[in-house]
Amino acid sequence: MDAAVQSVDLTKRFGDFAAVNKINLEIGSGEIFGLLGPNGAGKTTLVRVLTTVLEPTEGTAKVVGYDIRRNANKVRESIGVVSQAITLDVELSAWENMELYAKYYGVPNGLRHERIKALLDVVGLAERADFTVGSFSGGMKRRLELVRSLIHRPKILFLDEPTTGLDPQARYAVWDYLRKIHKDQGITVVITTHYLDEAEALCGRVAIVDFGKLVALGAPLDLKRKVMGGDVVEAEISIMSDEALTALQDSDFVLEVKKRESLLTVLVKSGAEAVPRIVELVGAKGGKLRSITLREPTLDDVFLNVTGRSIREDTAVTRKRFVSTWGAMRR
Amino acid sequence: MRGALWVCERDIRKFLRQPFVMVSALVGPFLTLILLGYAFGGSITHVPVAVVSYSEGRYSSAYLDIVKQEQNCAFGGASCGDAFRLRDFPDLESAERMLREGQVKAIIYIPSGFDSTLISSNSVVFTIYLDNTDPLSASAVYGGLSRAAQQLSAQIQLLSGRGESLTVDQANFYRNVLYIEFMAPGSLVQAIFIASIIGGGVSILIDKQRGIFEGYLVTPLKQYEIVVGVLLAGVVKALFSSMTMLFMAIIIAGVRPMTDATGFLLMLFTIFLAGLGLISMMTAFAVRVPAPEVYQFTAFPINMVLYFTSGAIYPIDGFPDWMRSIAVVNPEAYAVHALRLLMYKGASLTAVLGDFAFLAVFTSVMVGLATVAFRRRL
Repeated sequence: MDAAVQSVDLTKRFGDFAAVNKINLEIGSGEIFGLLGPNGAGKTTLVRVLTTVLEPTEGTAKVVGYDIRRNANKVRESIGVVSQAITLDVELSAWENMELYAKYYGVPNGLRHERIKALLDVVGLAERADFTVGSFSGGMKRRLELVRSLIHRPKILFLDEPTTGLDPQARYAVWDYLRKIHKDQGITVVITTHYLDEAEALCGRVAIVDFGKLVALGAPLDLKRKVMGGDVVEAEISIMSDEALTALQDSDFVLEVKKRESLLTVLVKSGAEAVPRIVELVGAKGGKLRSITLREPTLDDVFLNVTGRSIREDTAVTRKRFVSTWGAMRR
Repeated sequence: MRGALWVCERDIRKFLRQPFVMVSALVGPFLTLILLGYAFGGSITHVPVAVVSYSEGRYSSAYLDIVKQEQNCAFGGASCGDAFRLRDFPDLESAERMLREGQVKAIIYIPSGFDSTLISSNSVVFTIYLDNTDPLSASAVYGGLSRAAQQLSAQIQLLSGRGESLTVDQANFYRNVLYIEFMAPGSLVQAIFIASIIGGGVSILIDKQRGIFEGYLVTPLKQYEIVVGVLLAGVVKALFSSMTMLFMAIIIAGVRPMTDATGFLLMLFTIFLAGLGLISMMTAFAVRVPAPEVYQFTAFPINMVLYFTSGAIYPIDGFPDWMRSIAVVNPEAYAVHALRLLMYKGASLTAVLGDFAFLAVFTSVMVGLATVAFRRRL
């Protein structure tokens, strides 16, 4: 099977800063592939390079078999792109927006009308076709952009944070349409996101990106199993002593302990056994827990594991000890 | 009442953080002072005047000598120059052609009996033909030539003690053109420029800031297709804008162009050429400025420099040298010149060919520059 995207040492520098740093990536045809990482990780730059908006500094990539440096226009003809910012003309109607892009992409006159109608139908905008886009809600705009990028039947669809800024209902709607389009058209989808649930809900495979580098790659479930190798216990603390913390860290059933304000996160080999033992141990050392829950590890835990930071934290806080022990455990 | 002090303090504090905003806003008024001051403050010099002389007599050559020595001074005598630049023509016909084409501003016609009539009769009237489509130059030329005639009479009286008087009669070549009509072509050109400020490359600039532009970049549109498309849309806007201006000038301001169908088509072509050139120039600029504010603060001063040095409000002959050298390379000057000829003189294609040639070169260079300046990738 041909790769939809194949990059070799792909690098994009802005001055000294490498926003994309020697990324080697292969995305298969028909995948829904997620690029996951915090803000500023380089996801958008990577997508911009792959969609020929930016020229790579080093390395190159093939998209649908065409080189992004030498055959940029061939690449452009074969891909659909929904960029992070809304790129619709708000002064024009939904239909006009569709029509102009159909012309840009050289969709033949005879096919244009039918195709626009069908696509607007897919995202439930057929009745709003003649309304100016300025009157649309954020979710409607996203849906319109989604189908506008499909007007020329591209082989790959690139979406850069397609649900950022949308309310949950609008997000789920976008997900549904995306799944439907993927299923009906068998199109390859490359999506960047900093939402963990989005990556888990949509993507067959995920690449975790941090500081312009690829730090983990695989199916969400595999990543969680392989990287974490255990369960996560979360406890809310009322009283906690340093002694209790040290005791937990030294216990053989505990892989790692992290305390953030009143939240205690403990990675353990087996959750069912660990919960009573944690309660007992903390109690014995003079601590007190308000609640305790056992949960599956998330992609955030994976991210935390490989980068030392939470994807949800905007500021990069490095937890040295945490990283070193978990790093050691991984080996 | 003390509250007013705190409100004032807040405003002053904020002003002191960014005083350059006010300073850059002062560029406009300051340019107006300099450009308008020098344009109107100068006296009209080196006006090209055709001489058709059928007389080889003493007095006729004496008169032309006085005309040649006529000086016009401005700024309290700080800047003086020959008032006229005389060019000889063998007959009235060829001189008239030059006047129609705007190469000369007046014709001094000296008939063959000039000297003998002046000696035999007490009073002689001779005629100069004036290009009155440029009312300011025309009145300056008439004043200067009349003064020269008076000077000659005085000289003759001194020599002979007789009381001959030589008077200059003016023959207007065209119907009287009002000053507001003289200004109108400049306003048409300014309408083009306004369209080029807000209609050409600035759409790219705004789209870039709104992030809409990325939508273009991922399409298979080629670099020149995007640029030429933006320029064409700009030209359509410029045509619309200047035609609206022309309409308002005719209906509201009372401007009466004397143009036939051919002349109107040539006017449209002038606007098209000048519009495309100016829009390309501003597009080349807009696609390379880092921020819309920079464009905004620069576009309007550029507009003023081009407009005030174009001869739109005052004849270029009245400019100081430094302003005249701007006018030589100012595309708006050529557009204004061509439009004035077409609107009030019923000029033909040959008369405006020189203007068209300059505009064509300017426009080609600017279209090329805009295409090269535009970046296909971010």
